[in-house]
Amino acid sequence: MIVKKYFKIIVLFIIFFLLGSISISAKVDIGGELAVSLINIIDNEGNISAYPQASLDLELYIPPFDNNQIKSAVYLYTNPTTGQLDFMFKKLYLKHKFDKLHLTLGRQPISWSFGSMLNPVDFTLGSVVMDEETGSKYQTAVEAYIPLNWNSSVSLVAAFSEASQDIKWGLRGRTMIEGYDLTLNYVREPEIDFMGTIIPPSQRIGFTTKGDLGPLGVYGALGYYFKDNDNGNLAYLIGGDYSYFFEAGNKIYFQLEYLSMKKENLSSILGPFFAGNVTNNLNENIGLILGMANYEIDEFSQINLMAISNLNDGSIIVIPGYRNQLSNNLSFNLSTGIYFGKEDTLFGSNVSEGAQQKPKGMISIGLTYSF
Amino acid sequence: MKKIKWFLLIGITVSILFSCLIVVTAAEMTAEEIINKRDDNEYFDTAQMEAEMIIVSGSRKIIKTMDALTDKKNSLVEFTNSQDRGTKFLKREDDLWMFFPDAEEIIKISGHMLNQGMMGSDFSYQDVMEADKLTDLYDFEIIKEEEFEGRPCYVLEGIAREGVKVSYYRRVSWIDKERFIGLKEELYAESGRILKETKANVIEEIEGRWVPTNSVMENKLRKNTYTEFTITQISFNMEIPEETFSLQNLR
Repeated sequence: MIVKKYFKIIVLFIIFFLLGSISISAKVDIGGELAVSLINIIDNEGNISAYPQASLDLELYIPPFDNNQIKSAVYLYTNPTTGQLDFMFKKLYLKHKFDKLHLTLGRQPISWSFGSMLNPVDFTLGSVVMDEETGSKYQTAVEAYIPLNWNSSVSLVAAFSEASQDIKWGLRGRTMIEGYDLTLNYVREPEIDFMGTIIPPSQRIGFTTKGDLGPLGVYGALGYYFKDNDNGNLAYLIGGDYSYFFEAGNKIYFQLEYLSMKKENLSSILGPFFAGNVTNNLNENIGLILGMANYEIDEFSQINLMAISNLNDGSIIVIPGYRNQLSNNLSFNLSTGIYFGKEDTLFGSNVSEGAQQKPKGMISIGLTYSF
Repeated sequence: MKKIKWFLLIGITVSILFSCLIVVTAAEMTAEEIINKRDDNEYFDTAQMEAEMIIVSGSRKIIKTMDALTDKKNSLVEFTNSQDRGTKFLKREDDLWMFFPDAEEIIKISGHMLNQGMMGSDFSYQDVMEADKLTDLYDFEIIKEEEFEGRPCYVLEGIAREGVKVSYYRRVSWIDKERFIGLKEELYAESGRILKETKANVIEEIEGRWVPTNSVMENKLRKNTYTEFTITQISFNMEIPEETFSLQNLR
């Protein structure tokens, strides 16, 4: 449709018009983050392939004016395998705050996270995976946000995907009861043309909760995926987190969660990082357990260990990492990912026909500079 | 004549004794009165400030800058240094919410995180965003009087009241006798172990209040580590719209 086709251009035009006509242009600031890293992929024969990667997150900081907010952020990156430079607009939107409604038009992040490591009820499944953000949360969309009181709101999202002619719809309600943050959402995915394969439209509803139970933080999610002409699929997640302070003043933080869902929905949840063996037994119910421990060595450095295991077949991914803030704006990051599992297991080395060969492991070493 | 002299002598003696009594009575403030005077000085209906936090460990240091708004029960802090730019925290009573600027999402932070250092500093979220009066949280008594860095002080010990959630079970405070501001404070765990020590380095009179514009919090559990907190601008008792301390305002 015409509006969808020219939506980005219309928003861009409005933004530039406003920027040109207001006096705050002189207070615009530019900032962002430059990251360079060396990614080493280890295959099943023990061969290591090294790929340098660089990325630049650039954001324009424009002060709000007359209840308007303009955000512009672009992500430039080199493809680690081809070395080609590519870019993606993360944000390019205009937000206007009316009395009882906030309206956001343009390229924006739509994220319904509640603090879990995997999220089976997000607006876009797999937009945050094990604390790693993927690009899929950034959508060209219209969002209407209606605050009801200080902690309650309703938001309606209409997103325009490039892989579909139709609109993706989302509705989310949020409130707090007895200290628990509660959300209820509904998403309708349109029909998608994915590299020649037609994925039919689908719907899902989700419920999340987060709060405290004594010294523990607890959270959970319940999702129901509707299927045309078939029974729907249920998915649920329960988790908790805890901090322990040592006598020496250091702290260790734990997080543990369990996710149960049908195998066919798993690849969306796990995102592009963990493309396990999901082409067979799609109706099988999978139980995943995820854990994370983060230890603060001192004020500037920490080590962490994440692991995800499929309880059905015992396969596991282990992700140790280390981070050190070297100075005000410069930090060093080291992360590794190692797959363990027999052939034909979810995180195992072998693959089904048509699926991509998975590496045995990965080591990434890099520096990040903020400005 | 002799009688007049006796009366004069008695009169002078009584006057001197009476004066001493007044002086003694004035000096004998109770612990609660001292802390109330301190609270009157340090607590306010609303405040807006810009601040800088320098986290030091050995020879390394990191600087964080922030803008903060606070009223009697709520606080809103936004970080402005380049690495954390746009990160916001909202504290409403015992609940802490965090806004992640990249994903533009708001997550409720678990209660056990309130006692951890804010953005890696020695000031916990509770330390920075606590708005309750000390008299509501602790029972105080005067344990001695002594000088601290040339200033005569009351030294008070506060023990946490039963049923109240606090970060430090016991606190020993050196309170300036003239200005009724805390110059030094030792913060203890229930085990008796000293956890932190805070000292006010620079005190300024702002809008009729004595404000510690530069203070240092030292983590006693670690060597060579401390956080310096400097208020670069502060104003009090301005009107803050009700919707300021809300999730919608974090976005």
